Amino acid sequence: MNFVAFEAPSGTDLEFLVLFAVILLGPIVFTRLGLPGLIGVLLGGFAIGPHGLGLIAAGNETVPALGHFGLLYLMFVAGLELDLHMLKAYRGTAVMLGLLAFVIPFAIGLCVGFFALGWSVPATCLLGALFSSHTLIVYPTLRDAGLGGNPAVASAVGATVLTDTLALSVLAVVAGTETASGSAAGVLIEIAIGLVVLVVVGWLVLPRVVDLVLRRSGADRVARYIMIVVALLFMATLAHVFGIEGIVGAFFAGLGLNRLVPNEGPSMEQVEFFGAAVFVPVFLVSIGLILDPSVMFRADTLGLAALICVGALGGKAIACWLAGALRGFSWRERAAMYALTAPQAAATLAATLVGFQIGLFGTTLVNAVLVLILVSIVVAALLTQKVVTWLPAQAGRSRPLGENVLVVAPSTGPSDAAVRAATLLARPDGGHSDVIITRAASEPRPAAATLRAVEMRAFRHGFEGRFRTTVGELQDAVANALLTGDPSLVIVDDPTFHASPSHVPVIVVQATPPGADGVRMILDDENGDGVSQEISRRLAGGTLRSIRFRRRSDEALA
Amino acid sequence: VLSFCAALIGFVRELDRRPGRGLMVAALLGAVVFATSGCSVEKDAAGPSFEPATPGTLTVATAFLPAPGFWQGVVHRDGFEAHLAAVLAERLGLDRVHVVHVPFAAIVRGDLGGADVALSQLTPTRERERQLDFTTPYLIDSPGILARRGVEAADAKTLRGLRWVVSRASTLTPIVMDAVRPSAAPLVVVDRTQALRVLRRGRADALLLDLPVALGLARAEAARFHVIGQIGDGEGLAVALPAGSRNAEIVDSEVRALAADRTIARLESRWLGNTDDVPLILTEG
Repeated sequence: MNFVAFEAPSGTDLEFLVLFAVILLGPIVFTRLGLPGLIGVLLGGFAIGPHGLGLIAAGNETVPALGHFGLLYLMFVAGLELDLHMLKAYRGTAVMLGLLAFVIPFAIGLCVGFFALGWSVPATCLLGALFSSHTLIVYPTLRDAGLGGNPAVASAVGATVLTDTLALSVLAVVAGTETASGSAAGVLIEIAIGLVVLVVVGWLVLPRVVDLVLRRSGADRVARYIMIVVALLFMATLAHVFGIEGIVGAFFAGLGLNRLVPNEGPSMEQVEFFGAAVFVPVFLVSIGLILDPSVMFRADTLGLAALICVGALGGKAIACWLAGALRGFSWRERAAMYALTAPQAAATLAATLVGFQIGLFGTTLVNAVLVLILVSIVVAALLTQKVVTWLPAQAGRSRPLGENVLVVAPSTGPSDAAVRAATLLARPDGGHSDVIITRAASEPRPAAATLRAVEMRAFRHGFEGRFRTTVGELQDAVANALLTGDPSLVIVDDPTFHASPSHVPVIVVQATPPGADGVRMILDDENGDGVSQEISRRLAGGTLRSIRFRRRSDEALA
Repeated sequence: VLSFCAALIGFVRELDRRPGRGLMVAALLGAVVFATSGCSVEKDAAGPSFEPATPGTLTVATAFLPAPGFWQGVVHRDGFEAHLAAVLAERLGLDRVHVVHVPFAAIVRGDLGGADVALSQLTPTRERERQLDFTTPYLIDSPGILARRGVEAADAKTLRGLRWVVSRASTLTPIVMDAVRPSAAPLVVVDRTQALRVLRRGRADALLLDLPVALGLARAEAARFHVIGQIGDGEGLAVALPAGSRNAEIVDSEVRALAADRTIARLESRWLGNTDDVPLILTEG
């Protein structure tokens, strides 16, 4: 008689266990080997997939379904992370590089696919889109090395908005025409209308609706995150209505919410956390399931991989060199542009997977593209290591005014005027705001409920940032902030505040006398009229129409 | 690749000195790319061109003729898999479909009787993948319970009390044993044909099949059979090709294309009906 009956593990629990084990261990092992963690997750997907240990079978629906959401999420984050301020600030060079970085690789892709490989027109166009897209994987390294303000680097960052939008538009047209059943002209008109609707809704309607909801219930962090996810899925669904791939809608959702969800803000932190921890790795694992070493290491696959590596990386090299030559950048700066535009990851993976799902690409090409991704990331990473030694760090780069707005408030919390001003000043630059509430050592610690009420009041004004309290004088808190130089602008919520001008602009909210919301600016000569006018313009463009502006440039320390 | 790199370096140098000449080098570079690539690969993006066993013909092996819903009509040109074979042939640039009858046991052993592909309600398994190459599944459905008329069951307990027949060749047999856990040992037969014979003779009450197959049989023999419910997770049905076939990649791509443009969904709706109406019976496994 059997008293215990052990069973072989199986089912969904086991699938999730191996899935998350791969997500955990893949990056740990591969970063120790000096390779990108992304490759570890991809290869982990292969290991547990039907071509590996078979722990996740070929007909499995759970992982691919989760992976599909991960793909939408990845493209959403790609749109959300793009720096629209850079595009605006360096629009001349950025637009030129963006167009060249799209047109040249796309043209090479067309020539390679059509003439050299003899592929069909849709497959060739998708190959062109695949060549032309890129992902700013090495930008954090360059930014941390103090090169964020270098015109070549900034232009390449701004150019990515244009390049990826064009590449995804091509993807939308190709995938739409391949999967629709109507006449070609009808399908193209439907897709064109769809793209216009996506741009209009993504740019005009979505940010307003999301802003409205966040103002009403944004103090609840869960509701805030879910609202962002709902916006992403709404745009993906809207894209499908017009026969456009959901990833295009997701990318437009990211672009639309770009300023509402600033890169350094707490909402972005949540978006990135869930993306990095679950959704994007699951997508990479779902790609890894398609990986087949018996296909990847075949001579024809490696030949194709070499060809697309040369085409994609060569196309980007030509574009960067041409744009750099036309703008008079040094060869080192052109190398920096190349390091930024060479890596093929998010949009390339998206285009490849869509091509695979609609039957336009076979497993040979998918495996060849994975080689391209690996090669491009390694090449860019190696080049970046050189670039940071070639180019001088730009210590005193001009930061966007609203990049990081700090509100320093007394123990009663920030006034509505201060919070509104912070939102109006930060949002045009896609920046975020933080609030420091100061209190004297003798004052009791504010109750959690009180702080919560203050936060809720702030979020009703579209505030996006973090709150913290500190013990000390308000003047000391401002002085510390100016000393560290972290904030790009400081708002002091105390009309009696006085200080001498520093390199960081300071504005003092004049809450008294009641009803006359005004601000006083403390600016040094370097900031001058330009900053003063920009602050005035931004505040006047919002709801603070009654604000009075007074210039003080030589205030003595109180 | 080497000639490309050399040309790239030359281009960069020339572009720095004389942009006009640099563009000429770029044109040369393009020519090098084509020359290099032209020798390397000769295939479509979706996979190598299909090479049929008989020129112009897609030869399809199937085990069950007729199979209600899947292969039906006098010359077996109607039904889900019959039409799937036809659209597949069209996409592969072939003029006609030739159907050959091959026993199920032979197909899963990897013997397609000289056919290019097998379309025979086949579920990919690890064991079968050693003998065959499978495409992406074209149908994913839960197992359905085909029962004799008059036999009813709405819960796991009643299911256990039924007299079951299972086939050795079926991938669904472990589900009967692990999820249904019949009170009496099931009657074991060789294949589906024998299992249906047992059911028709009343020696068993129920048989587990892929839901669309069960629905097709119930429609074809409505006086004898009906589908009492569906259980468990879905299994996929896929096109099978001989192991190592160079046609596997292109057929797989075409199956995905037919799923993406909803051709398969339309065929499923037309020939197999709606599976959502069949009640779900929760089991313990």
